Amino acid sequence: MIKNKLKQDMRVIGDVTLFTKDTFYCMLSRPFYLGRFLEQIIHLGIESLSITIVIGIVTGLVMTLQFGYGLEKFGGTLYVPAIVSLSLMRELAPIFTSLLIAGRIGSGISAEIGAMKVSQQIDAIRALGTNPMRVLVVPRVLASILSLPLLATLSAFMGILGGLTIANIEFNMPPGFYINKVLSTIKLSDVFGSMAKCAFFGLVISILACFRGFETKDGTKGVGSSAKWVVVRTSIIILISDFFLSKILILIFD
Amino acid sequence: MQKILEVKNVFKNFGFKKVHNGVSFDLTLGETIGLLGPSGTGKSVLLRSIIGLEEIDDGEIRYHHKRIDNLTEVELYKIRTRISYSFQNGALFDSDSVFENVAYPLFEHTKLNELEIEQKVLNVLKIINMEGAKDLMPSDLSGGMQKRVGLARAMILNPEILLYDEPTAGLDPSNVELVIDVMKKFKQQGISGILVTHDIPTALKICDRILILKDGVINFNGTTEEFENSNDSFVKTFLKYE
Repeated sequence: MIKNKLKQDMRVIGDVTLFTKDTFYCMLSRPFYLGRFLEQIIHLGIESLSITIVIGIVTGLVMTLQFGYGLEKFGGTLYVPAIVSLSLMRELAPIFTSLLIAGRIGSGISAEIGAMKVSQQIDAIRALGTNPMRVLVVPRVLASILSLPLLATLSAFMGILGGLTIANIEFNMPPGFYINKVLSTIKLSDVFGSMAKCAFFGLVISILACFRGFETKDGTKGVGSSAKWVVVRTSIIILISDFFLSKILILIFD
Repeated sequence: MQKILEVKNVFKNFGFKKVHNGVSFDLTLGETIGLLGPSGTGKSVLLRSIIGLEEIDDGEIRYHHKRIDNLTEVELYKIRTRISYSFQNGALFDSDSVFENVAYPLFEHTKLNELEIEQKVLNVLKIINMEGAKDLMPSDLSGGMQKRVGLARAMILNPEILLYDEPTAGLDPSNVELVIDVMKKFKQQGISGILVTHDIPTALKICDRILILKDGVINFNGTTEEFENSNDSFVKTFLKYE
C-alpha cells in the first residue's frame, strides 16, 4: 500500500514537472493572451488587495504589541521596530500572504479549471483549435508570479505602518524614531529576497492549481476535492520550501 | 463522389474494455451520415477520435487522403478549424456571453476586425433563431438554446465537416425541430456532417446514409431507405426499440 502511494506520488511529481515545462514553453512562445493576463492580474492581484492589507496591518499590530511588552521588561523596547520590520519583510508577510493566496486563489483556480474540465469546456477549447495551456494556464501563472511579490511587499509595509501606530500609542515611541530604525534595518536585499520567494510561491500555487484543475474528474465532487488538494499541497510546499529559500537567501545576501 | 474523410480499421481500447474493433467508413463531400448504435458502443468516442480529442490505438483516419490520426496536438489545431465538433451539452464557456462564445473561433483564427466579427456572429445567431440573445450568459439559456449556440460556435468558421454529438438529446419536440432546422441550414450551406444520435426520426430527416456501430464495428452501412427497409434482425430490433 505504501509502495503504491509512493508510486502514485512520484507519478504526480513527474506529471507536474512536465506540466511546468509545457507552461514555460507556452509562456515563451506566441500567441500570448494579453487580455486574459490582465483579467487575471485584476482577479488574482487587485481583488486580493483588501485582505492582504488587513493581514499586513493586523500582523504588524500584534507583533509590535507582543514584542513591545515582552522586551519592555528588559528595557529592549527600542529594538521593536527593527525586529518587527525585519521579521515582517523577510518571513511573515511572504508566508502569510502566500498561504492566504494559496487558499483564496489556488483553490479558486483549481475549482474554476476543474469545473471547465468536467463540463468539457477544456475539450471545447481544444476542439476549437486553440491550446488550453495558453488560454488558461499561462495567464494565471504569470499573474500569480507577478502579483504575489507585490502583494507581500505591500502587506509588509502595511504591517510596518501598523507597528508604527501601535508603538506610538502603546509605548510612546515617536514615529520619526520608528521610521529611522526601520530604514536602517531593512536592506534592499531583504525586499528583493522576499519578492523572489513570493514569485516562487506564486509559481508553485498557480502551477499546482492549474495542474489539478486539468486532472479533475468525477463531477462536482471532483471539483471540491481538487480545491482541497491544492490548498493542502501548496501550504505544505510553501512552508517547507520557505526554510530552504531563506537559507539560500541568507547565504547570498548576508 | 469525393471522399473527404476516411476512417480505416480503427481500434480503440479503454484499459481492458474494447470500444472499437476495426471501425471503417468514409464520408463524401456534402453528405451527412447518421451514426447510430446502442448506448456505450463508442459513438461519441469515434467522433472525438476523428478530431484527435482521443487517440486511437490502431488504424487510420484520413482527411482529404492525408492521415490526421498521427498528427501532433499543434498540427491538429488547423484541422480542427476544418472539422468542427458540436458537443452534446454545448460545452459553452460559462464565463463568456453568447456573443463571446460564438465569436471565440473568429478572434482566434481570423484577422477580421471587431465590426466584421460582430456582423458575422449576428448572421449566425440569425440562422439559429437567437438574434436577441447575444448578450445573455450560458446560464441564462435553456438546454436547447445552449445546444444551438454550441452549433453556431462550431460552424462559425465555415468548416467542411461538422461532427454532431447527440444534438437533440434531452430536448422537447419544439427544440428538436429548431435544432433539425439549424442542421438542415448547415447542410444547405454544403457542410458535411456525422450525426451521432439515438433519435432515429431526426437521423432520417437529416442524413443521407445511416451507420450502426455495434460490438466495436460498423454493423450496418446503407442509405436511409435501405435502413428503413432492412431485413437485418438487429436493424429491425433497433428500429423497433429506439
